[in-house]
Amino acid sequence: MSELCFEAVGHDELRNVTARFGAGSHVVLGTEQAGTATLIALAAGCAKPRAGRLVLGARAPWSDAGTRRTIASLTAEEPLPPAHFVVAALELALRARGDARSGLSVLDAAGLARYERRPVSALSLREARAIALALALSHAAPRLLALHEPLSLVGFLSEDFVLQSLHKHRENGAIVLSTASRLEDAARLGGTASRLERGTWLDPESVPVQGLEIALRVRTPEPRRLAARLAEAPDITGVQWPGGQELLVRGSDLGRLAQSVVANARAEAIRITALKQEFPTLETLAAERAGLAQAAYERAQRQAEVRQP
Amino acid sequence: MSGIALGLALTRERLRGVSAPLVLLLGAVAVFAWGVLLRRGHPSSAADDTLGFAVFGCALPVFSYLLCERVCAGQSLTRSVEGVTRHGAQRRAVLFGVLLGSALSMALSSAVLTLAALLGAHPAGSALTNDLRASLGVALLAGAVYALWFAAAARFGRRGSGRKWALILDFLLGAGGSVLALPWPRGHVRNLLGGEPVLGLSQASAMVALALIGALCLAVCLAGTPD
Repeated sequence: MSELCFEAVGHDELRNVTARFGAGSHVVLGTEQAGTATLIALAAGCAKPRAGRLVLGARAPWSDAGTRRTIASLTAEEPLPPAHFVVAALELALRARGDARSGLSVLDAAGLARYERRPVSALSLREARAIALALALSHAAPRLLALHEPLSLVGFLSEDFVLQSLHKHRENGAIVLSTASRLEDAARLGGTASRLERGTWLDPESVPVQGLEIALRVRTPEPRRLAARLAEAPDITGVQWPGGQELLVRGSDLGRLAQSVVANARAEAIRITALKQEFPTLETLAAERAGLAQAAYERAQRQAEVRQP
Repeated sequence: MSGIALGLALTRERLRGVSAPLVLLLGAVAVFAWGVLLRRGHPSSAADDTLGFAVFGCALPVFSYLLCERVCAGQSLTRSVEGVTRHGAQRRAVLFGVLLGSALSMALSSAVLTLAALLGAHPAGSALTNDLRASLGVALLAGAVYALWFAAAARFGRRGSGRKWALILDFLLGAGGSVLALPWPRGHVRNLLGGEPVLGLSQASAMVALALIGALCLAVCLAGTPD
């Protein structure tokens, strides 16, 4: 059975990513800056990893045309093949993967037939991505679907069409690797969730899918010692030292987090000169809220199922 | 569709539109005007001077550079074919198709420029056909070699910036007749037109040298390119 393997892959934002994806659905949570776009570009064979090894089955997508032919992909930026009209650009891509269908049939199936006679140069970035998604989903028998933020294109394509096509490919044994920057999208895509944070790979076990993370900004003259102490504290999920005299300490409960920071500092006789909550960005908050809403919805659904005899 | 056919289709699509024929037309008008001006001053040497300087010295390298930039869509050579190779086409085959398309387009363009220059430089009824017969072969070969030359250079540098260096170095180093001019097309083309030879090479040797440069450039473009 085919597996997509990243072995110590380093490229642009990605740092030493080691991961394996078997048949089925996989969602990688994270922003483009965290490296999700690069991850998909590498999986699609659009770029050669600067470090490490990436293989689908036993072959590297970058250096094997036969392997690339079995990959359907949607990257962050989609320059369609050069042609005056969209339909001609699609036909070039279809011929490249050895598919004899017409470009119009691909557009029609996705509900995008109105783009047939649209000049490629007149397409917006999102329109070009929507057309590329239609092309990717039209693949007859892909071994891998590598899709960057497919649900961000709902509106151009119907959500049902995207999810049903993904389901069909998954049922046929394909590896469906998607990225999502919103927890809500990840929940809708389903499957195993993993995460990329600033290029670092977090496997499914370490992904906190629900729960708002609290961060405290701690000012101290001895940040290194305090960080070493806090790294082992049970209520603290992460300690970051951005430099200077400040530490960013993360946890899930504000009261217990502050208590733990103070107790650990006191135990080591480390002076704390300031302690204040670090508020999340609006983007993070929105993503977390989307996740919480999903969790609440799932909880309610489970409770409803339990109530029914 | 084979990879070569896809490469040819890529070249055709990128050269589609009015700008490439318009630039060629402007070039042809410019070399024609140059030929007419020289004919009025020095009728006996007007054809040689127009071909040596205006056509093969300036217009041909600059037009080849612009055509390469257009065919590669301002990218490096390998990156320029990603639009189709990512869907499963073989890179080497697509690149070969692109190179073939570029070489044919440049050979044709070079012939058009030569024809325009000779029409301008020759008085009516003079030995135009003899000069045409002698120069068209050189024009076809030089055009194809320059296309391959810039394509090979486009393999290097960020977004294929090697092209610019190829143009500059050909202008600077190819202008002489020393060993430094040996690897650049300019000196050999000049030799074929009856100008100063590079290292005293005969015209037959210059033809072989040009063909070798073309073959070497083709190898540089294709060798080491993954499937």
